[in-house]
Amino acid sequence: MMIKRLFLYTAGMFLSFPALALQSLSDTSLSNVQGQSGLTIEQSQLVNIGNLSYTDDSNSLNIQGLRISSQNDINASSSQKYVLDVTADGALSVQTTINPTQLYIDAITINNSSGSFGNLTLNFESIVDFTIIGMPLGGLEGSFAAGISNADMIWQTNGNALSFNNIAFNATVDRFTLEYDAIDNTKGFTRTGLDFGFNELDFSFSTGALSFAGVSLGELAGELALSADLQVFAGGRSGDQGLTMHSQVSILSNPDNFVRFTDYDNAGNGNSLLMGDFSGFLNVTNLTLDLQSYHIALGFDELEGAFNAGKLLIGDSSRSLGGIELDFLLNDDAINDRYNRFQLYPGITQPDFDAMPDEIKSYAESFYQDLDANSEGISIAAQWNLANADLSYIDDGRRVIFSGIKSFGSADTTIDVRDKTLAIGISNLKGSYSIDGLKVGDSDAPLQGGAELLLSLEVYQAMDFDLDGYTEITAGGADGGGIRIDGDYYFSNTNIGLSVDENGQGIWATDVKYDIHLRDITFDVEADGLKINRGEQWSTMDIANLRWGDKNSGRSLGRVKLERFEQGSSLAIMPGGAGQVCVGASAADEASCGSSGGRWEDRGEQGMTIALKAAFANAGSTTDGTATARNRLTWENNRVETSAGSGEYISDSGTQIIFDNYSTNDGRGTSDTNDYGFQANLSIDVYETKVLKKTDEDDVNGVSGDFGDELIYDNIGTVDDPIRGNSYSYVASPTEEQEALRPLGFAVKGNISFKELNIDAVQLKHPDIATPQTVFYGVVMQNLNLTTNLTATPIQ
Amino acid sequence: MKIIIKHTPALVFSMVLSTNIFLIANTHALEPLAENELQQVLGQGGVYLSGDITINESGGPLNNTADASNPGIWQKNCTASSTDKRCGARIAVNSGDGASSGWLVLDNIRGRFSFEGLTLKTRPINSGFEGDGAIFDADVFEVGLPNKVNYSNVSFTLANSNKARPTDANFVQTDILNVKVNGDVNLRGNVLLFPTGNP
Repeated sequence: MMIKRLFLYTAGMFLSFPALALQSLSDTSLSNVQGQSGLTIEQSQLVNIGNLSYTDDSNSLNIQGLRISSQNDINASSSQKYVLDVTADGALSVQTTINPTQLYIDAITINNSSGSFGNLTLNFESIVDFTIIGMPLGGLEGSFAAGISNADMIWQTNGNALSFNNIAFNATVDRFTLEYDAIDNTKGFTRTGLDFGFNELDFSFSTGALSFAGVSLGELAGELALSADLQVFAGGRSGDQGLTMHSQVSILSNPDNFVRFTDYDNAGNGNSLLMGDFSGFLNVTNLTLDLQSYHIALGFDELEGAFNAGKLLIGDSSRSLGGIELDFLLNDDAINDRYNRFQLYPGITQPDFDAMPDEIKSYAESFYQDLDANSEGISIAAQWNLANADLSYIDDGRRVIFSGIKSFGSADTTIDVRDKTLAIGISNLKGSYSIDGLKVGDSDAPLQGGAELLLSLEVYQAMDFDLDGYTEITAGGADGGGIRIDGDYYFSNTNIGLSVDENGQGIWATDVKYDIHLRDITFDVEADGLKINRGEQWSTMDIANLRWGDKNSGRSLGRVKLERFEQGSSLAIMPGGAGQVCVGASAADEASCGSSGGRWEDRGEQGMTIALKAAFANAGSTTDGTATARNRLTWENNRVETSAGSGEYISDSGTQIIFDNYSTNDGRGTSDTNDYGFQANLSIDVYETKVLKKTDEDDVNGVSGDFGDELIYDNIGTVDDPIRGNSYSYVASPTEEQEALRPLGFAVKGNISFKELNIDAVQLKHPDIATPQTVFYGVVMQNLNLTTNLTATPIQ
Repeated sequence: MKIIIKHTPALVFSMVLSTNIFLIANTHALEPLAENELQQVLGQGGVYLSGDITINESGGPLNNTADASNPGIWQKNCTASSTDKRCGARIAVNSGDGASSGWLVLDNIRGRFSFEGLTLKTRPINSGFEGDGAIFDADVFEVGLPNKVNYSNVSFTLANSNKARPTDANFVQTDILNVKVNGDVNLRGNVLLFPTGNP
């Protein structure tokens, strides 16, 4: 009887049941039936289910301790009201009102697993109206509108909670359809399934707070409009049972679409990150769900999509960062044994500590020290294969595309909630990514170099790596909401492409070992931008070989070891670029800039400004006392080969030059404060750039021109609305119209400054001596204020 | 590492440029290239840089009079036309035996460099160079020199001092010479950087 009530309840709530089963009513219940036309049912219920199981090929997903009750008293019934009517066109109309209700699940396990996914609580009240009518050729169609309010969603593991509070959700569907005519042939045989259609699904949502143990990170809100089709078939990827789905989702273009995160400071002022003006699509083929002995198996054959956001805002500024567009394809690659699969295990599956590198082992053991086999949480074994992606950044209508982004790999991940903290452990990650290069203008443009420009943001063009990393995300930034991150990470077996082409040739840092430790890194959204305070970080990047050419066989420059130690560094990202600048002279307006020999550029309203402060600390102990750290650069060559002809060399067996203990201070030496640090402010725009021919000969594409002529693209648009073609010529003196057809590139207005940058010693070390010999007993650089106006253009 | 520079009327400037960019070079072997070889140096992919670099046009962060944490000796009202020697950047190097030795100083560093067409890219060399390219058969990092570099009021002072910082007790500095540069320098050709020798 309890199960039947649950079915009726869920049918009313989620509308996923095609018909309502009729049941006999008791006299008491019948007395509650009211109505003038149609039928009104008022129902109250208190549901307690010890165990509810879903079984797939003899494996069970167990929902334990399921309770549906009043929100105010878990021992009291919740209540609902259903008003049923038949409209003039013969459709069944159902209006459902669910009064404040709590749905609680004590644990979710698989078979007899000792660990659980944790417990879930959903508080809500809702009003749902829907109509449904039969279709002429079979199936059902209708419309619905649903509103959920005063809702909380709480996930708890081991007694600690992550909660979305005060959720409001509204959705309307102009027309939905349900038919049993979907055909699937993707598995080599034909099967029939359910076909769901949703035309113009508009929804909005908001959360009063996303919080850990009552400490808020901030608020989320959004509006989106979709049209979607979904086909559901019985049978998963393995065994006889399970579930398979295909879906086709269109994100309907609407300037009013948005997603917004709002961070409130201690004074109660809210500042937001906003992404809006969406469009795009998402198609999934063979999304499967299976139950295995110890896990839920999810996977898909192909996920293809495009996501376009025309508006990006930070803070309360009306200036936009510009827009982004992302096209991507994740698919299975059986030839290279790369798939998109996700295995979800209940509880925390701890890594094999003895199998991990010594450099991270103690940090990993510390991370998991309070957890055991019975602990609650989620463990995920994941594989991915991103076959291709293109990411476009659009600034005042000018587009640069990071093209040919590829990635694959696998990782073991655990997620659990701790005291005011979300803990994420990643072990045994073996990953790879690469970026082919840049395109400017449109996706048909030729591939060019220039992805090296990302190096300034410490984003490398290509990387394959093993990673173990342990992160704790705590609620609350430097001021009010926001988040704080502490983490320890170790990269091994790593190759980093610093400047490589689409064939993988270029400059590589190979056999890299890179350990990074982050403490008290806070993220806050402030009125003028996104602020990241890097409380303390120390790291060592040990590059066994810096190679030119192929990453395995290219000539090596030797070993480079970079040790870093920073306290009180920061990074701010602000909307808006450089605006109007005079390149090559100092002037405040176009006329005086030209008369001073400069070039006036109006780089528009959009773009972004990055303000970086690196406070290099003097050598010493870290705040937690677990390590000593310093800033030091070491270059070593003439090393001893591990065996003749192996191409591998023994570290510390060669000659070294060492730049030891470099640090910043406020001008009086290392005993002074270090508030100013090393500052770099970069205003970045995408802008037309001046590219001059450097010889009198034909260029690499056979295009002729004289030395000093300017590269101008052909116009495939109009004079008033010029559009760059893919061909170009060289022009001695371009007209104003032609100047609008200059190549696009990154225009960077930068400023680098420090009060003092101190190097304790520059040393040389021979392998036969224990102590390095000092060349310079100190280098003191002071009072630098270096300003740049540079345009960086990808070239062929 | 080896650096090849071809067709460089201003060889000294090229050396300064390359050593500024790559401080970790150990050998700078210069090898002449023929004009036809030089043309082949222009390759595929990379970055084309143009613009200007200005040092301490209106002083540095220690000159900020509104920042009370700055030492008084540094606090100056610096403008583009100011001649106060504290308005520039300063580098002091101790190549003696530590605290008891003096410091070689480049002081009051100021000025603007502007240029068009500095290119950076990696590319293979497997042909040309009068047959040496095929023998070489490896990748190089190529710095394509800008056609013209304009120096505007670029100046510095070469000096000796007994202490690293002007704020140090009993600080004494003796200026040796002042340098000021205005004008254009034409630079053509490429600097090729590649590893060589035992890594």
